Amino acid sequence: MKSSQSLALVSLFAALMAVLGLIPKIDLPLGVPITLQTLGVMLAGCLLGPKRGLQALLLFMAAVALGLPLLSGGRGGFGVFMAPSAGYLIGMPFGAFVTGWLMSMLPSTTPRGTALSAFVASSLGGLFTVHAFGVAGLVKLANLSWTQAFFGTLVFVPGDLIKCALCATVVHTVARGMPDWRFGGRAL
Amino acid sequence: MGSLYSEHLTWLHRVPAAVKLLFFAVLGTAQFLVQGHTLLIISAVACGLMFASLGRATLSARKLIASVLLAALLILAFHTYMRQPLEGMVSVLRLFSAALLGIALTLTTRTRDLLDVFERLLSPLQRVGIRSDRLSLQLAMMLRFTEHFFVVWTRLDDAHRIRTGKAGGLRILAPLTIKMLMSARKAADTLELRLGE
Repeated sequence: MKSSQSLALVSLFAALMAVLGLIPKIDLPLGVPITLQTLGVMLAGCLLGPKRGLQALLLFMAAVALGLPLLSGGRGGFGVFMAPSAGYLIGMPFGAFVTGWLMSMLPSTTPRGTALSAFVASSLGGLFTVHAFGVAGLVKLANLSWTQAFFGTLVFVPGDLIKCALCATVVHTVARGMPDWRFGGRAL
Repeated sequence: MGSLYSEHLTWLHRVPAAVKLLFFAVLGTAQFLVQGHTLLIISAVACGLMFASLGRATLSARKLIASVLLAALLILAFHTYMRQPLEGMVSVLRLFSAALLGIALTLTTRTRDLLDVFERLLSPLQRVGIRSDRLSLQLAMMLRFTEHFFVVWTRLDDAHRIRTGKAGGLRILAPLTIKMLMSARKAADTLELRLGE
């Protein structure tokens, strides 16, 4: 892929993360909030692949660190990397990388197959990886035990599974609408 | 889209960005290495006084501070419920101090100055092919794309309302993604002409 294409796509998906952060959170039953930014992690990995997905999320994190209020709730700056949720933030670039890597390995010959691959890749990358980092962050920053942090993060899993399904739906539509798109960053 | 930088000038605005970043990185990390309660209390008080000395410059960060306080209270409540109040207190003091340092850095440092520091820090990576000098270009493109996303989203939503009488919501996320991928391809063509690669 040419440098200019890479540059444009990385910036685009960093922008997508910003847009998803500006959308108000949705409250599930029992008041559990879900925000859409993890969906951005999944889409970046599935559509860009591991390397560019990682770069897009690193660019987004750099923008947040520089003080732009791009996280859900208008948060930004260095302070957010010290909050209890910092583990989830740090996990996002890795989540995009794992999602992209899995997507590059899984089949994408038909739109339906591509969507199924996207669901699997998103679940393991965008969901499992991000939550693993989130749990580690809660243990380190909020001084919770591993068990407490694990059960604390479980409450967000249903919302994230919905996002995995949403990611698969978007990938399915892209596969039908742009048949030349190389999912998972596959080379031409 | 503005940053959280405050135009109300304080003594901390005059400190160079690189010095502030180093100081806050070291102090922020130290919060999580210190174990003694007395030291953590002294640190929290010092960070609080430093933050308070910024005066009106802190007004724009009220929401951020409120979210940090809320998180701290929830952690303290949780640890108290688990009969570990001292553990909770340690967590709260660390989080409070480190978060105030981070917010103070953001409020008193221009985005451009931080970007310069980042580009200098990342410049050794140019030896392995990472173009740190492209960081400001990518950030500018990111902001431009963010605005463009909302323009395209509004157009698609309006079209959906005309067809169905209802808001598009998440239903237009897929067509929005396709349109934005096509926009990125056009932007890439223009960039190729400009950058030659």
